[in-house]
Amino acid sequence: MKGIIENRDTFLNKIAHQLGRTPTKNIEQPIWQYQPQDRVLKDATQDELVAVLQEQCLNINTNVVITNTAKLADTLQTVVDSFGGRSVITWKDDRFQKYGLSQLMNEQWPQANIDLYVWNSAQPEENIIQAEKANIGITISEMTLAESGTAVLFSDKDKGRSVSFLPEKSIILIPKSTIVPRMTQAARWIREKMHSGEKVASCVNFITGPSNSADIEMILVVGVHGPIKAIYIVIEDQ
Amino acid sequence: MSMKTSDDPFKNRVSKELTNTFMRGAVSSAQERFQTRRLKQADELGHWEEWRSHGEEIRQHVLANLDYYLYELSENVSKRGGHVFFAQTAQEATAYIQQIANEKQARKIVKSKSMVTEEIHLNAALEQLGCEVIETDLGEYILQVDDHEPPSHIVVPALHKNKEQIRDVFKDKQGYDKTEKPEELALYVREKLRNEYLTADIGITGCNFAIAESGSITLVTNEGNADLVTALPKTQITVMGMERIVPTFEEMEVLVSLLTRSAVGQKLTSYITTLTGIKDEGDTDGPEEFHLVIVDNGRSDILGGEFQPILQCIRCAACVNACPVYRHVGGHTYGSIYSGPVGVVLSPLLGGYEDFKELPYASTLCGACTDACPVKIPLHQLIHKHRQVIVENEGKAPVSEKLLMKAFGFGAASPSLFKMATKMASPVMSPFTKDNKISNGPGPLKAWTADRDFPAPNKENFRDWFKKRPIGGEE
Amino acid sequence: MKVTLFATCLVDMFQGDVGKAVVEVLERLGCTIDFPENQICCGQPAYNSGYVQESKNAMKKMILAFEHAEYVVSPSGSCAYMFKEYPEVFKGDAVWEPKAKALATKTYEFTEFIVDVLKIEDVGAHLEGTATYHSSCHMTRLLGVQEAPMTLLSHVKGLQYIELPGKERCCGFGGTFSVKMGNISGQMVSEKVQNVEETGADILIGADAGCLINIGGRIDRQGKPIKVMHIAEVLNCR
Repeated sequence: MKGIIENRDTFLNKIAHQLGRTPTKNIEQPIWQYQPQDRVLKDATQDELVAVLQEQCLNINTNVVITNTAKLADTLQTVVDSFGGRSVITWKDDRFQKYGLSQLMNEQWPQANIDLYVWNSAQPEENIIQAEKANIGITISEMTLAESGTAVLFSDKDKGRSVSFLPEKSIILIPKSTIVPRMTQAARWIREKMHSGEKVASCVNFITGPSNSADIEMILVVGVHGPIKAIYIVIEDQ
Repeated sequence: MSMKTSDDPFKNRVSKELTNTFMRGAVSSAQERFQTRRLKQADELGHWEEWRSHGEEIRQHVLANLDYYLYELSENVSKRGGHVFFAQTAQEATAYIQQIANEKQARKIVKSKSMVTEEIHLNAALEQLGCEVIETDLGEYILQVDDHEPPSHIVVPALHKNKEQIRDVFKDKQGYDKTEKPEELALYVREKLRNEYLTADIGITGCNFAIAESGSITLVTNEGNADLVTALPKTQITVMGMERIVPTFEEMEVLVSLLTRSAVGQKLTSYITTLTGIKDEGDTDGPEEFHLVIVDNGRSDILGGEFQPILQCIRCAACVNACPVYRHVGGHTYGSIYSGPVGVVLSPLLGGYEDFKELPYASTLCGACTDACPVKIPLHQLIHKHRQVIVENEGKAPVSEKLLMKAFGFGAASPSLFKMATKMASPVMSPFTKDNKISNGPGPLKAWTADRDFPAPNKENFRDWFKKRPIGGEE
Repeated sequence: MKVTLFATCLVDMFQGDVGKAVVEVLERLGCTIDFPENQICCGQPAYNSGYVQESKNAMKKMILAFEHAEYVVSPSGSCAYMFKEYPEVFKGDAVWEPKAKALATKTYEFTEFIVDVLKIEDVGAHLEGTATYHSSCHMTRLLGVQEAPMTLLSHVKGLQYIELPGKERCCGFGGTFSVKMGNISGQMVSEKVQNVEETGADILIGADAGCLINIGGRIDRQGKPIKVMHIAEVLNCR
């Protein structure tokens, strides 16, 4: 359903008037004189990008663990243990199975008294309750920005936004193939998807480490409204 | 409605803030930290001047085609189920938001940090209806609990407060019983606000950048509060200054890269969130209803005129952090929600010269602000432009000064009068001169000699020496 | 080479020794000095206070006074920059804009002239002591002269240079600001002097009379054993 637009004409007429013309529905697409963003990490190999990501994560209070698909379950178990286990919430996402995590999540965790809740679009209220009380949230990065140490998450009915920011700890799985130089590539990719007719996710999250604040005497406090701890698990998937 | 934060005269505010030792220490160390981090990030990024030029060209292009992009934005927001309300005045904006609050029978509203909502006094308007409005940015929350103290910095609103003062605010107002450690204070606020997000009826945000092509809004935070504000309540209202818009995701990315580096010296902040429309079918979190309120409130009057470049501003506060005057007087001296050089330029434009006529003089025109600006706003030139307007159009300059400057126009323009004046300087000043310096000067010199000496005029002017000396200087 | 000296009113009235040093240094470097008697103030105090119309008369007189010059040299970055602003002030004025442009093009700050036009880096100066240098705002930011003074100072025999903390920060002079906002200006210059003291230098060097009168005035008031020198005076020491 389309939303309502109010007062637009008077508003835009005033702007156009100030600019000395009538309102326009056509403009020439800008050709930018400067494009410095393409130079950043231009010729970096995938391995170099991983190194840049690791280095940057030192600045954002985020640990990085590198593993491969064969060892992923073990690595994840270690990380979950280090975060104190207890309760985990994840997206409903086939990739967990693809990465060989089904046994760990569905068999080992219940035995070890780790509660697993999988996002369920049929029960919205329960989703929030569970996300709020989960100790750990696990998500998967769609594209990962080496320069800034950023994971890009797209929301949808099976991938609730709350999974990444309501639990106290956040684990983000990063397939190595998703690592790109910087936000430039992510912005272009989102546009390309859009132009090919795909809907932009209602929430695109560029997440760079745990939440933090320096509002009190400029002293950095890690963990304010979102997660207090974050870790990236890079998966050598190529 | 004005953006005034104080009824105290400017002079009193200056004297008061100059004695605020904690504030001054906090501001100067914050400035140094911000500056160092900003310069380091610019350096690591490389080609910083090109980045600034790119930022500038994007902002200039958007302003030149603002009606086009706002049209495109509103169409695309509407396509994704959002309502768009264009508000020419602060009153229109607050009335519309009040109406939504009424319709929703809202009791509790959570907000993430937004300067434009401060500008239109939105909280007061909603509190009038009996709504509880809760600021969720840590700094804003502290100020709100402390009887709605105004912010003193665009990015770090409670910069002027120390942790002991903050502890006492929470202790006095809410019975907080832990220490002044920032971690404990932050944890306290985290726990206090968690339930507020979950039970709020409406979430209100500002907007760092709207994206015309996709109908999205971009929110930039470190705390993650904007994500909670927009994910949990059923209704979301986003208020944006009409100029805070970019053509596509790609330009948003460039400006965010400039913003986070310039504001806090980070490559990106912890949370950059782009939200498009209402939540999708089957989504649990995200709003069922989304309203985008686009605010003019005096901005369009700036468009097309000499001050248009100030609309390029992306609210990073790099100019504030570079300003040597802000360094000593802090944010509250400006008496406006916008402080520092950007406040000096913006406040008289949006709030009128009557309330803010002193601000353009609170600058040495040193140009540090212009150098720091990531989108190349010629801030010091705009400050100078204000002085010209005050003198020539507004007639708000003091009469004594006008006379002096008229005399200057006459005297300085006549070489013989000028020469006479330079000759007279020494005898005229001799009653005030001791040991070749003036320690207690008359007239305007009084303000100077309160803290420093003024040199006595030369006994022999340079020009006389030059004329008398042997040709070629060989004695 | 004939150099036409734009002495500035502060030098003319208060800092005669600076003017003398400029003349002596330039003559030693082979220049002949010309001083147009009709020079007055460049108009900056009125201009910066917003009295643009009032300042135009003074500006016109200055344009005429220097019309004959080949090179205009000034021992003040701020006043030299004011000449560079003239074309902007007279923009659209058929008579005065071209004249203003001609003046702006041939105007140089003293150190800039020595390094960029005379192509001299070592003027043969000798001064024993430790010195720090305050880089004036208008000279570095607006006029863009940053390297020249440092280059010249680095060749002064016997002079040990210590960098000034916060060297790029304004000293609080700002022309009429220093009296209009006297108490803020006073705090600014106090911090500047504190920074100068921290270096332990016994000489403070600057290239703009306004800043030096301001900082020197505070040093005098506090009775600090720090000598304040214009860079021309330093370069004139043998």
